[in-house]
Amino acid sequence: MEFRKGKQDKIKRALLDQLVFLFPMLLFLIILYGTLFWTIYVSFTDWKNINPNYQIVGLKWYKFLVSQPRFWVDVQNNLKWLILGVLPTTILAIFIAYLLELSPLPGVESYVRTLLLYPVAMSFIVTGTIWSWMYEPDRGVINTLLRQLGLNSRLPFTTDPQTATYWLILIFIWQYLGFAVIIVQSSIRTSELQEMVEAATVDGAGKLRILFSIVLPNIRSGLLVLVSLLLISSLKVFDIVYIVTFGGPGIQTDVLALNMWITTFQQRLFSAGAGLGVIIFLLAFILVIPYTLYAFRRWFE
Amino acid sequence: MKKTLWTILSILLVLAFGLTACGPAATPTPEKIVETVTVEKTVVQVVTATPQPKAKKLEIFHWWTAPGEREAADAMFTAFKAKYPDIQIVENPVPGGGGVSHRVVLQSRLIAGIPPDTFQTLGGAELKNYVDSGALQPLDDLWAELDYAKVIPGPLAKAVTVNGHPYVVPLNMHIQNILYYNLKLFNELGLSAPTKFDELLNACAKIKQAKPEMTCLALGSKEKWGDAFVFDSILLEQGGPEYYVKLYKGEIDVANDPVFRASLEKFKQLIPYINSDHASLTWDQSVALVGSGKAAMVIMGTWAIGAFVKGSNWQPGVDFGAVTFPQVPERILLFHPDCYGLATNAPDPEETLNWLRVVASPELQVPTDVTQGGLFARTDIDPKQFPDPIRQELQSYVRDHPDKLILDQHGSILPASAQPIYWDIISAFLAQPDVEKAIKETANMMTTYGVKEASGWYQWP
Repeated sequence: MEFRKGKQDKIKRALLDQLVFLFPMLLFLIILYGTLFWTIYVSFTDWKNINPNYQIVGLKWYKFLVSQPRFWVDVQNNLKWLILGVLPTTILAIFIAYLLELSPLPGVESYVRTLLLYPVAMSFIVTGTIWSWMYEPDRGVINTLLRQLGLNSRLPFTTDPQTATYWLILIFIWQYLGFAVIIVQSSIRTSELQEMVEAATVDGAGKLRILFSIVLPNIRSGLLVLVSLLLISSLKVFDIVYIVTFGGPGIQTDVLALNMWITTFQQRLFSAGAGLGVIIFLLAFILVIPYTLYAFRRWFE
Repeated sequence: MKKTLWTILSILLVLAFGLTACGPAATPTPEKIVETVTVEKTVVQVVTATPQPKAKKLEIFHWWTAPGEREAADAMFTAFKAKYPDIQIVENPVPGGGGVSHRVVLQSRLIAGIPPDTFQTLGGAELKNYVDSGALQPLDDLWAELDYAKVIPGPLAKAVTVNGHPYVVPLNMHIQNILYYNLKLFNELGLSAPTKFDELLNACAKIKQAKPEMTCLALGSKEKWGDAFVFDSILLEQGGPEYYVKLYKGEIDVANDPVFRASLEKFKQLIPYINSDHASLTWDQSVALVGSGKAAMVIMGTWAIGAFVKGSNWQPGVDFGAVTFPQVPERILLFHPDCYGLATNAPDPEETLNWLRVVASPELQVPTDVTQGGLFARTDIDPKQFPDPIRQELQSYVRDHPDKLILDQHGSILPASAQPIYWDIISAFLAQPDVEKAIKETANMMTTYGVKEASGWYQWP
């Protein structure tokens, strides 16, 4: 009896141990996938105004969304964000990280890295507000400084309908650059890579040659993480646009996420808002998953 | 290690100073943040001070959290406390101008079925939205008890009455179509205040000639509604009051309408006289442009008076003047009210009704409206209660001509689904003035969002 009781206790303990780890996992799954499927469900219903209406109407709201010119402006802007938010940040990060590794001025490197990292420590709400002050064409810091340098600067920044989105993307690059540099730098600092670089240096390879032929091919895992994170961050961008331009002038800087917010909470078309959410999710899925698979395959080759 | 820490600290300090120095004076965001912090503190104090288990309480949702508005909210609660000292007020203010963030939180609570006792809402379409969703209870008995329909202007009563039942108690009226101008400049140049569009253009031409550096009409369109205000004033002059109401009720065939087209053309003529950075400015920054002498005029609601007096230290009648704009074909005041109602399933209905009784009283309306910037909802209050001649005159005009009030489109006639789209169309037109595109998009908006069906409830006169 004693023996069996001990065994039962053991089984109980094991179950309990498993539950302890299983519970957070379950909670995570319920919160993440529960809300995800709920949003997909709502996007097929006919929910307008505050009272939910769960009558299924099929693709009605998706058809409505793609019939709006605004939706296509958003898609275009999101593509701009994807390309211009990810590529320059990654390329700049690689160069800066490599430059810091070379550290032409010993001792300065750690300060520069800290400085670069500051922006990412601040929320987009804060940096967005600061940048919208700096961008003000009339009284903003940038134009005032340029004017004091003797230039009659009237750069319109975010008030120019043609280029406003690019100025917003610049904020994103500025904010994520330090973060990107850290990731690249940490993958450069693996001991294997360091040895390879040393060997190449002994063999008399130039700095640029080392960067392209030795460093770049060996930091793929770091770049995979970095590019995936940047892709997702630039796809779901909302706060910068909301704070700095609120989609203006007109709807020139509108993005899918801001449209989702306006559709849901200002227009109170909840099903249409959920539909936009699903579209953003699908875009992330389509873009990020193939990229990850591709990168993994090349990485393991 | 210690050295690095010091450098980091000093860099942080330098950054902090740098950041505070970057901001232009009129940006209100930092103050707002401070505001909420203090509010939370007071709530906590109130809760700990009264430990009785079943204390009477009243939960209020309002969006008056910005500087100037906060004081008005305090004036409301002081008036309420004076009458019902035993009822605790629990407020859930959300920072954010015009109630945008406030509405997000409120909607989530209403959907979740945990409504506050009472919440701030505008009249018209926004109110109808809540009524259609069953979020508010009709207040026929309370209105009869207070005889409220007799003491407020007819158009105001109609703006808060849906399907024959009043649903809220309005406490003020904001007038939208007012043109503020730099009085000293106008005297210097021998100009008189414009009351119609052509006079405005003429004044702008003269100002531009005399002061090439100065902007004629200041505008802040970042929040998107500022430009719709200007366009509203043009529509009102070109089409007259009946047309204005019909347009926003969706009864005008916009695609083939000469008045709408003509109004857009007029608006286009005005664009060269508007500050080019309007898309980066909020309404208070546009008022500050006039207050700092960089612009000559601004079209803004009654709430701008406080911004002039407190923000720029300008006195009405001395530094700046104000006229209703336009006054052709007749002097119409476009208005929207702030209101409170009784939420369905409110946890404290008795306390809420008491609150609404106070909201309807002059004891609350006088201190609150004088502070916040609107007119009194009641017409039996002496207009001389206002410190400024502008609102004294407006309040007298409302008392003598209550039928000259029309609900504006600031969340009021157009349904909520169409409102942001309309703002975007006007805002896009201002950025790239394409008349055909604006007409086509407005006509589309009217049919896509069924404006005719959704706004049919509004009756004017």
